Amino acid sequence: MSAGYIDELHEAFHSDLVYRSEEIPLECSPKPKEMEQTLHGVMKLNGLVIRSLEEIAGRGANAVTYRAGKKFGHEVAKYFQKREDVEGALHELSDLLRGQYSFEVWKPEDKETFIIEENGETFIYLVFHDCIVRQTLRRNGLDQGGPLCQTLFGYVVGAIEEITGRKAKLEIVHTGPNACLKKLVLK
Amino acid sequence: MEIHVDKDACVGCGLCVKDCPMHVYELQDNVSVAVRPNNCMGCLSCHEICPAQALEHRGIYAARRHYIDVNVCEMLRKVV
Ligand code: SF4
Ligand code: SF4
Repeated sequence: MSAGYIDELHEAFHSDLVYRSEEIPLECSPKPKEMEQTLHGVMKLNGLVIRSLEEIAGRGANAVTYRAGKKFGHEVAKYFQKREDVEGALHELSDLLRGQYSFEVWKPEDKETFIIEENGETFIYLVFHDCIVRQTLRRNGLDQGGPLCQTLFGYVVGAIEEITGRKAKLEIVHTGPNACLKKLVLK
Repeated sequence: MEIHVDKDACVGCGLCVKDCPMHVYELQDNVSVAVRPNNCMGCLSCHEICPAQALEHRGIYAARRHYIDVNVCEMLRKVV
């Protein structure tokens, strides 16, 4: 390794910055634009982990990721306000997911209300618009609906259960490049 | 939601009819027609599958696209 290169490295990691200890960090660094490469790295890594998990655990991969997501959902939602009404719970959930996922409550035009009762089931359709899982899958050329989607499923179910105190289930109706339709079944 | 099908571009393959989960399209005289636009939830699967790029959605929410690698796209733009 040449001395020139070592000096170059030293220079790259040296600055005149005065760093004072802080109690609570007030901002993240670097600026979002500069994080693009980091984000791609994280997406790539997540994709590889999921691909390997699928190779080793086969269909069992879904159960593992669903369970991990559900635990995480329960854990995070613990600190949120408890709500019995579904509308309030969904509001809490959208606050919880902000920045990573965004969703809206949706209904087909032939339905009167957003809470639909059909074949003895009560459910709500949710359209997920922004979704970091979809981004990661597309970044890695992986199919939607697999183990990584199951983490989000588990997360939503865990959070809804924690907020409402009721059992819930989430089903995929359709996955698309710009939005996915899911069915939140309330028990 | 407003959906426009370019009648001149549409090749009548019916892929959008089959793929749309909300049954928004129907084939009429070998051309796709958006008969239930209000049932569209904006997944854009139809755009991805249409070989003729004949579809246009107005008033849609475009989800964030973090997956696009601008460096790769810049390189591709130089070649294509
Ligand atoms: S965007 Fe999705 S729901 Fe809307 S017409 Fe296309 S395939 Fe159907
Ligand atoms: S997929 Fe495209 S080309 Fe095929 S019927 Fe639909 S609009 Fe026409």
